[in-house]
Amino acid sequence: MKDLVRQNLLIHVDILDLLNKQIKQEAESSAAYLAMASWCDHNGLVYSAEFFYEQSAEEREHMMKIFHFINDNGGTAYSPEVANINHDFASLEEIFETALDQEIAITKSIHNIVYECRNKRDLTTENFLQWFITEQMEEEQTMRRALELFDLINTENVGLRFLDEKIKEIRDEANPA
Amino acid sequence: MDTIYTSKYFVASQCDNSRRFYIDFGHKTVKFSFCQLLALRHKLKSIDIEQHVNGENIHGLEVLSLCNREHLFVFNTLEILDLQELIHGTFAMMEINSVLA
Ligand SMILES: [Fe+2]
Repeated sequence: MKDLVRQNLLIHVDILDLLNKQIKQEAESSAAYLAMASWCDHNGLVYSAEFFYEQSAEEREHMMKIFHFINDNGGTAYSPEVANINHDFASLEEIFETALDQEIAITKSIHNIVYECRNKRDLTTENFLQWFITEQMEEEQTMRRALELFDLINTENVGLRFLDEKIKEIRDEANPA
Repeated sequence: MDTIYTSKYFVASQCDNSRRFYIDFGHKTVKFSFCQLLALRHKLKSIDIEQHVNGENIHGLEVLSLCNREHLFVFNTLEILDLQELIHGTFAMMEINSVLA
């Protein structure tokens, strides 16, 4: 009997399911950042808003990277459903803390898929995911640095504006032109 | 044609020459390309069988369109469970075949 699965699909079929779940998680992450950007915009925090608009676009790029990887290798990527986006935040600090937690969850999820790739001997997908491991390290670093600002700067009154301007610097450092 | 897996109601097989899969549904046999088989697998995985017992799905029926709506099937709870078992078993057998090949 021919190995028709392997003829058609380079990715292990169980890993395919995990990658599709990851697509959904990246889409949810993108949508969550968009909600955060909106909150910042409404509260006059223009640099933080810009930060989250870019972050949202980046998450969509991550999603598309996985999407194409699946379809280019014989699998079927599914367009994800995203629902129940939270738009309510008490403060900018809460937003950055939520963002860090979200990035940590994504890091864990990526690591989990890599472990599963090793179990299933899917070296191609493992290799593909190496880029995401590095990317997640950088994402976490960025969010942690932003959150540290709240320990350094008193955010009452004009302090919050000052902090907002510092967010721009963090963004520029993370993405050197 | 090689039989890959047989469940209570259904049989999955593959044809090496045409590189296609076949599922015998009893009254009808349907030909699947690999990605159509993947699509069926995805649809079956997405079914929330709990709705058949908690009253949300009062008739206990699922309507499945297969192969880009070429075929339309209505399955009851037992048939869905059996079809899920067929697809699970089919992919498991093909994985074993892959290790041996
Ligand atoms: Fe991401």
